[in-house]
Amino acid sequence: MSRDGIAGLAVLAASLALFALTLDLKDSPMVPVGPGFYPRIVLGLTAALSLGLVIADLLTRRTRGALPAAARQRLNYPLVAMSFGVFALYAVALPWLGFRIATFLFVGGSNALLDPPRGAKGWVRALVLALATAALTWLVFERWLSVLLPRGRWTDF
Amino acid sequence: MFELLGTALVNVAQLKYLAPLFFGTLAGVVGGALPGVTITMTIIVVLPFTFGLDPLQGLAAMTGVYVGGSAGGLVTAVLLGIPGTPSAIATTFDGHPMAKKGEPGRAIWLGVWASFFGGLVGGAFLIFSTGPLAKFALEFGPWEFFALFVFALSMVAGLVESSLAKGLLSGGLGLIVTVLGNDPVMGQQRLTLGIPMLEGGIDFLPVLIGVFAFAQIMSEVERMGGAARLVDAVDRSLSLAVSHFKVIREILSRPLLLLWSSFIGLVIGVLPAIGGSAANMIAYDQAKKLSRHPQNFGSGIPEGIIASESSNNANVGGSLVTIMAFGIPGDAVTAVMLGALTIHGIQSGPLFILQNPQLAYGIFAAYLLAHPLMVLIIGLAARYMLRVVTVPKAALFPVVLVLCVIGAYALNNTMQNVYVLLAFGLLGYAMVKFGFPLAPFILGVILGDQIEINLIRAIMTDSDPWLFLTRPISGALIALSAASLAFAIWQHYRHRAKIARPAEADF
Repeated sequence: MSRDGIAGLAVLAASLALFALTLDLKDSPMVPVGPGFYPRIVLGLTAALSLGLVIADLLTRRTRGALPAAARQRLNYPLVAMSFGVFALYAVALPWLGFRIATFLFVGGSNALLDPPRGAKGWVRALVLALATAALTWLVFERWLSVLLPRGRWTDF
Repeated sequence: MFELLGTALVNVAQLKYLAPLFFGTLAGVVGGALPGVTITMTIIVVLPFTFGLDPLQGLAAMTGVYVGGSAGGLVTAVLLGIPGTPSAIATTFDGHPMAKKGEPGRAIWLGVWASFFGGLVGGAFLIFSTGPLAKFALEFGPWEFFALFVFALSMVAGLVESSLAKGLLSGGLGLIVTVLGNDPVMGQQRLTLGIPMLEGGIDFLPVLIGVFAFAQIMSEVERMGGAARLVDAVDRSLSLAVSHFKVIREILSRPLLLLWSSFIGLVIGVLPAIGGSAANMIAYDQAKKLSRHPQNFGSGIPEGIIASESSNNANVGGSLVTIMAFGIPGDAVTAVMLGALTIHGIQSGPLFILQNPQLAYGIFAAYLLAHPLMVLIIGLAARYMLRVVTVPKAALFPVVLVLCVIGAYALNNTMQNVYVLLAFGLLGYAMVKFGFPLAPFILGVILGDQIEINLIRAIMTDSDPWLFLTRPISGALIALSAASLAFAIWQHYRHRAKIARPAEADF
């Protein structure tokens, strides 16, 4: 099974699970159709389409051969996973550390992850970028544009 | 109309509005010029800056981004052969060869002035057609709105050449997002999955920001290794000096090409979610087909640049018409603008121009004034922009993500939207990896509630389902939806047959 088949199966499972949940929704006396009416149409449609995708994938004749050059390109998935991880940590840290500290750590950490600093100059550059981003965004948004940014429960900062 | 427009032009020409318009246009030009940074990403970055501004200031900034971004892509397309945005791909075909032949200034300015004139054609269409189209849309009942939104969704899903099923499924996934949380008619809780965060439903802006920003950034990150830059090295000794009079005469001496390409851009802009990337390619293709010397295309001729650039800026006018008259975003950029309107409590759609004439005409004025600003900015900064494109990705991406977080958090000052941003960032990246198009998904998220509300309203008014087909406008729109899907299926098989033909010839 190819990526299409896997994606189709995942959407089919999600659609059927949600469809089953809509059966528990009670109709409202105020409107002729209940809150489950429209979701059932949507989920029925996505279930049918994903089933179609799975069937089409199973029926597709596979040809074995050399992959095109573009497909052979090695992609850096560990770096993507780590980048998502660092962002998730940032999202978790924001309400505890506050915008300025969390942003300083996130920008510095992400920059170092994507382009590991070489020598003291590299580290200084990463620190300056992190500090400038945290300070400038805070100044522009909170001070100038009056857009509130998260405050830290631990730091009150 | 002209009185309102005149007042709006005077109003927007004041520093209070001109400054955000200028900085928006500058951001658009720079963002458009950066390969790997689309206009959508630029407008997402600019969005949080508009929260503290009044609605017209914010929308002026966003209009500036849109106009500037549509033209900015030509700078790197011409000078480096790398289109800054997908809407400048066709500009590369003749712009870069012309630059390589020793005429970089001519190539750049042909593009800039063609963008300017194409944009003005788009502006005329925007100003003269939005009001009548909105009046026409006021005749719509729930049946017509339901059919219109279904048509928009079917068109976008059908445009995916590789797989119609994936296009439709992507739109369906977007609709699923809108059924989680609460019923928009009665406000009853449904499908919350026991997650408190879902009880109030999901705002579409964090979804849009997450899907587009992460899909794009992570697709770049996966190709990175070390100090990757948007562009590795540029020649900074280029001279872009040119006689503007000559260049303008070169463009205006081809009025049919300019008008036809602008018309193509407009039509594609009006159709939901197709955008400038298709407009420039189709206009280029049309210019080539209609030319007496099609063999010269690709060798560095002005016609190729004029067709591509006039169409992508006229496209902006078309997209703005769709959002202002019908409340349907023409593309991801106008989807963000729709979000900005919602933040300020303004409802887009047929009543928008009637209820907010000053704001509507303010947008028209901002659109018109953004064009001379774009010419000025590119004139002053084209050479320096080549330095900006050497910015390291490792420095750019974290900063963009911080701005995305601010944009999501500041919508209602809760961390919930930041978590939604992350969750949909993961989903957006997964969709890209599995070959699902993002445009139908986003349109599904934006239109889902309205589709449901209008469907239920129609049923509450009259339970006869045949009304969707027997009412003339609704029936025509449903027929168009079916026709667009049939056309997509035909196109899909033709595309597959085209791919199969050379393979068969090998045997």
